[in-house]
Amino acid sequence: MPKHIVRLIVLLVASGAIALIAKWFFTVESFYEYGHYRADSVPEIAAQEPVYKTARYCQSCHSERHAQWSANNHKSVTCETCHGAAEGHPEKGKLPIPADTVKLCTLCHEAMPGRPGTQPQIQVAQHSGGQQCKVCHNPHAPKIAAAAIKVTGDVAAGRQRAAACASCHGAEGISPNDTWPNLAGQSAAYLARILAAYKSGDQKDVVMTPMAQPLSDADIRNLATYYASLTCRTIPSTTRIGDAAAGKALAKNCASCHGATGISSNPAWPHLAGQKAGYLVNVLKAFRGGLRKDPTMAAVVRGLSDADIDNLAAYYAAQSCQPITEARKTP
Amino acid sequence: MKREAITSLLARRTFLRKIGRAATCAGAIVAAGALSVTKKVAAKSESNSSRASFPTKDYDWTKHQWAFGVDATKCIGCLRCVEACKRENDVPGDAHHFRTWVERYVYLEGDKRARVDSHHDPVNIEASGSEQEFRFSNRYQGAKVEKAFFVPKLCNQCTHPACVQVCPTGATYRTQDGVVLIDHKYCIGCQYCVQACPYGARFFRPKEQVSDKCTWCYHRITKGLQPACVEVCPVGARIFGDRNDPQSPISLFIRNNRVQVLRADTGNAPNVFYVGIDKEVS
Repeated sequence: MPKHIVRLIVLLVASGAIALIAKWFFTVESFYEYGHYRADSVPEIAAQEPVYKTARYCQSCHSERHAQWSANNHKSVTCETCHGAAEGHPEKGKLPIPADTVKLCTLCHEAMPGRPGTQPQIQVAQHSGGQQCKVCHNPHAPKIAAAAIKVTGDVAAGRQRAAACASCHGAEGISPNDTWPNLAGQSAAYLARILAAYKSGDQKDVVMTPMAQPLSDADIRNLATYYASLTCRTIPSTTRIGDAAAGKALAKNCASCHGATGISSNPAWPHLAGQKAGYLVNVLKAFRGGLRKDPTMAAVVRGLSDADIDNLAAYYAAQSCQPITEARKTP
Repeated sequence: MKREAITSLLARRTFLRKIGRAATCAGAIVAAGALSVTKKVAAKSESNSSRASFPTKDYDWTKHQWAFGVDATKCIGCLRCVEACKRENDVPGDAHHFRTWVERYVYLEGDKRARVDSHHDPVNIEASGSEQEFRFSNRYQGAKVEKAFFVPKLCNQCTHPACVQVCPTGATYRTQDGVVLIDHKYCIGCQYCVQACPYGARFFRPKEQVSDKCTWCYHRITKGLQPACVEVCPVGARIFGDRNDPQSPISLFIRNNRVQVLRADTGNAPNVFYVGIDKEVS
């Protein structure tokens, strides 16, 4: 073989060998361990820390909220879906949901073509009049207990049974003092719901609990129908508390359920117009303190001060309850 | 004459001294090289045997076979998944880089083809108010909509991934538990994989100059958690689990529904299974 060809072959073999050695030397250890890739990159990727910590992480501190949430309609929506990723919480600060709840809630609940029919959806413009969702809905228990059941009972039987109630609530359902509520003209569905709650123990009161316990379901229906049939009267309160004008501004937050002047649009919710101010104050404080339990009301009253409560009570007590009875009579 | 001899002797001596020094240096380098080679040999022969479970201490990838389900009949298009994915995986903040997304298909009366939009459509960016927030604009409100639905999309983690085939550096690969990953240290940013993916699941990270895509939150699933998008989905439209476990959510989902995959004809054999999608979804 000619000398120059031999040299060329030697050169080629030598550079090939050098290339192979260089490849072997420069390829990281784990490269062919499982295939044509760097095996070490897998544990590197797996080592990244999760940012979303799951509801179990939240539960370790917020067990009460967790219990309420997991028992209600939003249980499929995890904490971090609304509150955001829990990474860095609580060290780096609180995790409130965005202040603009309309923007947040309508992400899922704005009526939109393409959303499945099973998804609860609202026409945003008509639903709340620009109110924040949180005003009425507790995000952890969003459903408002408002399934108004039609209550029909016997007025005469109710009148008989009501004799026992008259000493506190008045013979005609108009209470003689400021602490006990007027019942005349109140909606029957609401009265029946509350009486049933006293009977079952869901709602407790030293006086009302023993009164309600012996009532049968028929008694409750009859009583509710009887009081609803009475005509309400607004009696100017003797004790003056709060500032009705300031209460009016606050009452905007209540209007979507209880009506602008305290005349509720839905029979499941009570009328407040012309109600006793002292009674309203007590009830609002009971909601705030958790003595009376209602997820919606609990969310609404959470931010109210004592003065706010006085003002609201003064406002509703000063409203006339008459328009409803008239409105109801005209078809 | 004598003088010349002395100078040449001196020159020879300095030359020899230089040679000597050079030889010492070369010897040292060779010795160091040999040392590192022996170290490397030792390391290479060691590494294969030392791993009891891979990739982490508590997780053995040979015991799992992950798969993903999408129930498009449940999706409400709230885009919490897109937001969660961005946050979980530190995806660039603008609307045009994303690992998962949701498409809206709308057939108006008389239309033969669907109108498709996603969160990065200008109308939807306007509705959300910024590129960092995501929401579907209610643009078809009041229109005569014949049919409309949302379809969540993500990487299909194919059994025969085209993206892996075209990668020139071995920077992307399929793990033994069925997830296609990207080694960002080995990615040279050529974007062949972005081109090769028939589903448009990959994107390019402009800052790091590497390709990126959904990993089914590999760092979460190897710790026993669900991927972030599955975790935050409020309606259960995203289903995830281990096909090795016949009672896992995904096994039940595949068993109890007539599922389909996207673009089966490409031969990629995707591992995201869909229910409730339409002929135009691909």
